[in-house]
Amino acid sequence: MADVTASLIASARPALDEGLLRALAASLGEDAAAVQRRLAALARYEAADEPDRVRHLWRFTNPAALLPAAIGTAAAGGAPARAPRPGDAAAVIDLWPGMAPVLETAPGLPEGTIMLAAGADAGAQPATDLFGALNEAAWNAGATVKVAAGARLAGPIHVRVHAAGPAALPRLRVEVGAGAEASVVEQHVGGGPDVRVAGRTFVAAGAGARVRHALVQVWEAGTCGHLAVETAAAADADVLTVCGVFGGDDTKLEVEAVLAGAGARSEIIGVALVAGKQHADVHTCHRHAAAHTASRIDYKAVAGQQARSTYTGLIRIDDEAHHCEAYQENRNLLLSSRARADAIPELEIHNQEVSCSHGATIAPVDEEQLFYLESRCLDPREALGLVVGGFLENTLARLPDDARAMVESFVGPRLATIREGTA
Amino acid sequence: MSDQMLSPDHPSVVFACRNLRVFVKDGDNEKLIVRGVDLTVRRGEKHALMGPNGSGKSTLAAALMGHPSYRVEGDIWLEGERVDTLEPHERARRGLFLSFQYPVAVPGVTVANFLRASLAARRGAEIPVRAFRQELNEAFATMSIDPSFITRYLNDGFSGGEKKKLEILQMLLLKPSFSLLDETDSGLDIDALKIVSEGINLASGPQNGLLLVTHYQRILNHVQPDVVHVFMNGHLVRTGGMELVSALEERGYDWLADEAAVAEGSRA
Repeated sequence: MADVTASLIASARPALDEGLLRALAASLGEDAAAVQRRLAALARYEAADEPDRVRHLWRFTNPAALLPAAIGTAAAGGAPARAPRPGDAAAVIDLWPGMAPVLETAPGLPEGTIMLAAGADAGAQPATDLFGALNEAAWNAGATVKVAAGARLAGPIHVRVHAAGPAALPRLRVEVGAGAEASVVEQHVGGGPDVRVAGRTFVAAGAGARVRHALVQVWEAGTCGHLAVETAAAADADVLTVCGVFGGDDTKLEVEAVLAGAGARSEIIGVALVAGKQHADVHTCHRHAAAHTASRIDYKAVAGQQARSTYTGLIRIDDEAHHCEAYQENRNLLLSSRARADAIPELEIHNQEVSCSHGATIAPVDEEQLFYLESRCLDPREALGLVVGGFLENTLARLPDDARAMVESFVGPRLATIREGTA
Repeated sequence: MSDQMLSPDHPSVVFACRNLRVFVKDGDNEKLIVRGVDLTVRRGEKHALMGPNGSGKSTLAAALMGHPSYRVEGDIWLEGERVDTLEPHERARRGLFLSFQYPVAVPGVTVANFLRASLAARRGAEIPVRAFRQELNEAFATMSIDPSFITRYLNDGFSGGEKKKLEILQMLLLKPSFSLLDETDSGLDIDALKIVSEGINLASGPQNGLLLVTHYQRILNHVQPDVVHVFMNGHLVRTGGMELVSALEERGYDWLADEAAVAEGSRA
């Protein structure tokens, strides 16, 4: 039986070869070193095992549903129209499959504050997993954004990652120099039926840097994909990772935050709102690799209709990482009897001088709360909206004001459509 | 005095029910809790409903509001219109109000946001922020609730007294035509009971009515009902005035057990 499953996934794995990758590199104007990195990744892609569906990390999501059918070299469609730069943004970057990244900075921003380079390979650890190696070999939209050491950006950097064509393979690297403060909003937009995405994002926070990185997935219906985020916090750096899963059909999002330097802090705040037959499979890992580091995870999922939420969360404390604090919380609210949530918290602790805790709940919406609100003149949709808003409130309250406003701008409309379907 | 023969759509009647029967799910079967209640409340009247524990008083109140756990047979009339087929929020918007025995906490929703949404729904129009704030401050002062509660989460971590005061505050703001007050006096100290009673009296007027479910004479001394009903075993077994309350305080409910049995027999 296992062999049959493995062969099904193997057959779903898109074919890659050297000619294709060379053509892809040529279309993006890459140098020889970049081509060699792609070819090295190709070897790892071909050697990569299929995700093991017996283990919990892939038990709930079929990787075959996320993989693109084929990888091409041509840009998807003609020259796309760019949305205007939001007024408060320090810069906007658009990433389209098969096209070079486009940067637009706010007028008056000192030269060298934000720098953009095509591609995103510098400093990345070679990936050995199937999705990681696929992205590394065949990425078709890539950018490295560098924020100069000591810079203080007044507004966020918006990165709009467009899902298009049969396969969007975006690759983004954000490097925030020592002592700098930066906020990056990575919005995954676009997509449609049969569009598949395999994306990778790396966020490196230099010593003492303060970085806010938000990844918001608002794909069109029909889109499926795998998104991975790796953050690394150097000594005394402070990294906030905000995740929002709202759109698409099936999404697997993996966030691995490494507290690499002493005194580093990392917080992950996540919200998923899914309905219909959507599936949001979110995995977080906080790895404490240094002493005196602190991490916190607060992930909330709301599932309506027949939607499904899966959360697996690992806190790992390395041998040398004494005097660490780690907390993980996952709460799930089910709006219908057919919605489903799974929560699997994990602790892997190799040093005893630490403080770690976690909590997880899965609960249906409280009918008595709804009746109370309805007895106060609120119709069932308004009542449900208040209850769901209340459920998310203490999580959203942890966000800085502008990040909260940004997340709420996606929560509100999504909730409205979920209520339409539920009422 | 109320007149059971008055037609439920008579202009002087604010609330009525006829042959009300309430069923609750009991495994695969249904259990009859309220066994045929006729009630007529005229405008300006305050009625009290007393009865032993487990007699079905709270079930009656929740079912009249439209709680989804109950199946209801019979008519419910509010201001001359049938409301028994309406959803709870539709009944509420037409002026029916239920003060909960155990008000439900809704964490994450502030009292202010909840009240603003509720009032807008009742009045059919958004309320300007400044006007709303002023109205809220006045109501909080009337009910002697600390204004800091405006920004707290609804009933979340409130004491029993605070919850009951907030229930009556909502009654004042929503201006219902008929209020069901389910043991609003339970769990209140002497001061809070006085404040809650005064709030109820303030919300009462010549055009509306209320049904106050209680175990105790104390609140009735403050609220002074026009009509007192005794509810036992799913029936209204006796209707009278305040003298009935004194008799119950003195003699308990046992002496009415025979009447309850007769009522049971007559319905069977």
